[in-house]
Amino acid sequence: MQGGIGNMGIFKDIKALFSGMRITSKHLGRHAITLQYPEEKWEMPERSRGVVVLLSDKEDGSLNCTSCMLCMRACPTAAIVIDSPRDPETKKRNLKKFEIDFGLCCFCGLCEEACNFSAIKLATKYEFSSADKDSFLWDVNKLQEVGRDVDYIDTRKKKKVAPKKETTPAETKSPEKKPVDQKGENS
Amino acid sequence: MTFPVAVLELYPLFRWLSGVLESFGFSANTVLIISYAVLGVIMFSALSIIALFLVWWERKIAAHMQQRFGPMRHGWHGWYQTIMDAIKLLQKEDVRVASRDKIVYFWAPVICFVAAYLAYIVMPWGKNLIVADFNIGILYIMAVTTFTVIALLMAGWGSNNKYALLGGMRSAAQVVSYEIPMVASILTVILFVGSMSMVDIVTSQSGWIFNWFIFKLPFGPIAFVTYLIAATAEANRTPFDIPEAEQELVAGFNIEYSGMKFAMFFLAEFINMFTVSALAATLFLGGWNGWSFIPSWAWFLMKTFGVVFLMMLIRWTYPRLRVDQLMEFAWKFLVPVTFANLILAAVIKYAGWHW
Amino acid sequence: MSDLRTEEYYLNMGPHHPSTHGVCRMVLKMDGEKVKEIEPHIGYLHRSIEKICENRTYAQCIPILDRFEYVTAMSCNYVFALAAERLASIEVPERAEHIRVIMLELNRIASHLLFYGVTAMDIGALTPFLYGLRERESILDLFEMTCGQRLTYNYIRVGGVSRDLPNGFIPKCHEALNTIEKKLADYEGLLNENPIWLVRTVGIGVLPAKVALDYGVSGPCLRASGVQYDLRRNDPYSIYDRFEFDIPVRHNGDCYDRYLLRLDEIRQSIHIVRQALDALPEGDFKAKVSPNFKPPAGEVYARIENSRGELGVHVISDGTKKPLRVKTRGASYNHIAVLPAFATDVLLADLVAIFATMDVIMPEVDR
Repeated sequence: MQGGIGNMGIFKDIKALFSGMRITSKHLGRHAITLQYPEEKWEMPERSRGVVVLLSDKEDGSLNCTSCMLCMRACPTAAIVIDSPRDPETKKRNLKKFEIDFGLCCFCGLCEEACNFSAIKLATKYEFSSADKDSFLWDVNKLQEVGRDVDYIDTRKKKKVAPKKETTPAETKSPEKKPVDQKGENS
Repeated sequence: MTFPVAVLELYPLFRWLSGVLESFGFSANTVLIISYAVLGVIMFSALSIIALFLVWWERKIAAHMQQRFGPMRHGWHGWYQTIMDAIKLLQKEDVRVASRDKIVYFWAPVICFVAAYLAYIVMPWGKNLIVADFNIGILYIMAVTTFTVIALLMAGWGSNNKYALLGGMRSAAQVVSYEIPMVASILTVILFVGSMSMVDIVTSQSGWIFNWFIFKLPFGPIAFVTYLIAATAEANRTPFDIPEAEQELVAGFNIEYSGMKFAMFFLAEFINMFTVSALAATLFLGGWNGWSFIPSWAWFLMKTFGVVFLMMLIRWTYPRLRVDQLMEFAWKFLVPVTFANLILAAVIKYAGWHW
Repeated sequence: MSDLRTEEYYLNMGPHHPSTHGVCRMVLKMDGEKVKEIEPHIGYLHRSIEKICENRTYAQCIPILDRFEYVTAMSCNYVFALAAERLASIEVPERAEHIRVIMLELNRIASHLLFYGVTAMDIGALTPFLYGLRERESILDLFEMTCGQRLTYNYIRVGGVSRDLPNGFIPKCHEALNTIEKKLADYEGLLNENPIWLVRTVGIGVLPAKVALDYGVSGPCLRASGVQYDLRRNDPYSIYDRFEFDIPVRHNGDCYDRYLLRLDEIRQSIHIVRQALDALPEGDFKAKVSPNFKPPAGEVYARIENSRGELGVHVISDGTKKPLRVKTRGASYNHIAVLPAFATDVLLADLVAIFATMDVIMPEVDR
């Protein structure tokens, strides 16, 4: 055939056929590189962008969110809906509704980067599929619940990366003191 | 052709069965028919189990070759995965094309399935372990295995689907072409044995290992290799699996089949693979001959599974040939080689330069 | 017998066909097994990415463009960031440029490994697919470690990259490159000399250089036809002019050359990544750019060489924080368009091989 089996050296062909067979049979005895998924799982890298959660303060367990709406504005798919009317007396925002629709979320992580208060994070958790569309709409309680045990670096205090928990109890979240710089968790 | 009543009497089970039946007062003919029915059921179940095992084994080999696990869920390393698959396929809805050719469409999987089993009437599983020892055994096998191509052609035509039609046509062209080198390779064996009976072929290779036909230099190995190539093509396996080439014809002839009809094609394919491997073991590797500390049927199964394993290695290593290259390879390379080999064997036989 | 006749018939290949790499539909006019005419039908994967981008800020466009060509999403990130940077004349830190080059080249290797796998699979060899994906996995692990995702990275941003390289990235990257380099011998041993592979690819689907140029074919498909054209050299962007690498060129333009050329490119990319890792300077990984930055009014066309060819994006800014118009250009579109010009009078199986070696990816065509 055209430059094929007939014309080329048959011994070269046979050698090539055998070398192919050698490579595949070499792999026969090797260990599998895959995992049995639901029983075994890969360890997710720290930066893995899974489910979006709301973080709570490490000491008093209250939400870090100040309802500044930066994440809502940063979201490219409008998956985040925040309703936080301003209190007419204290001029502070009052978080009334914080919903993330995971049917819309594209897990880009822009909300996490926009947040100046370590309040929202893409955790390494990833198993939350469901056959029910409505169950993808997570409200603030669920987001906080899932985010309870998520470890994070608190960047709310200025110019100081809080090491663990020996620092003073976190001051009440005040939208007045805005840390200017972006989250600098580069390691 | 002797009707193999005597063969039946070799088995203690059938001696016992006929004794029991006769004690109930059945006539000799009825006893014979019942015995054959029981034998048929046993063969059918054994082959089905082998086919199911082969499916599982192939998946395992493919997986390990690709550094995966393969089926792992059902039992130890998923050993009854294919049984569950078969049960699932049995339960599935039989989706049929409205514009099919009803009769042809219905009978295609049946013929394919039955034809795959027919060859085992003359397959020598072990010493005295044969359903019927025809004196045209090998010819009979060649005849019935060719039924498969009719079934594939019927499936391709009856589905009223262009992909299926292409698959059926390819299959017809391929099987008809590769039949010739396959028969020519087998003829070298028959030439030496001087008989077409499967039992004679096996017994002629008894004794020490160099009586196996593959070691009959110089034509034995050539005949074996050409037979293996042609047999791979007969069994529609990669690199000759063009009738069902997934990447071109999606699933080829069985594209419109679902449920148990698909399962019949699928099982038939694996039984065909076992058939050609068993033939290779019988014709070239001494059949059930071997050291006597292992039962003869175990030798037969070991050799057959060895050939099956080789075919699996080939399947998961090589790309697929194109349809015209396949034809060229058969007619321009394989047919001349096998015929030259046959002539060489004839000359050597005539001159007596062999042991 | 006089009423026996043959006729040409139409075969509908796709949109759901195993070898159309997505949802391309080709209506083939067939004479038996021979393909007489090809009529590609596209648009099954249209997600109106360009229109969506008009309603997003520049930062928000990037995760959307991830989905434009998801096999090499890094280059989609990059080309848009490049356009925005040129619009707003943003200076990118040195370290960011190096990280970008590392990511782009790693993504090119990942894409070519996928190509190796799917091409082998389309031609019928099933095992190379898993081998190709095995090494691709190690690169995706690196990406996941760096930016958190395996496919839609959203990593390269206007003005730099979103995060610095994580701890332990450099040794892990070297390790992955060494493994890939070693495994390339396996890949080649499986297919390069294999007579079945040779008859299936050598001399099949010859794309003449003139036809390729006429139809705007770019990337490896063009270079396999003997045209030395690589935007990394011909229209340098980023810091590619600092690195030493070859542009592999082959001259037959058949499936085999397109396949070999990509293997060569994997080697060159490994070389580039190693140089970039060695030259990686300290410093900022991102220039200060506001998420809602407003580039001055104007328009710019940025183009880069991704694993399939020229990947371009045309951005028109009206001075607001959202682009007025975004037009993307993917190489696969031209690669599908050129099929009727050279892939006729081949067998159906050859068409599959040609389609596979053109390395078409449908989201890039339909966007």
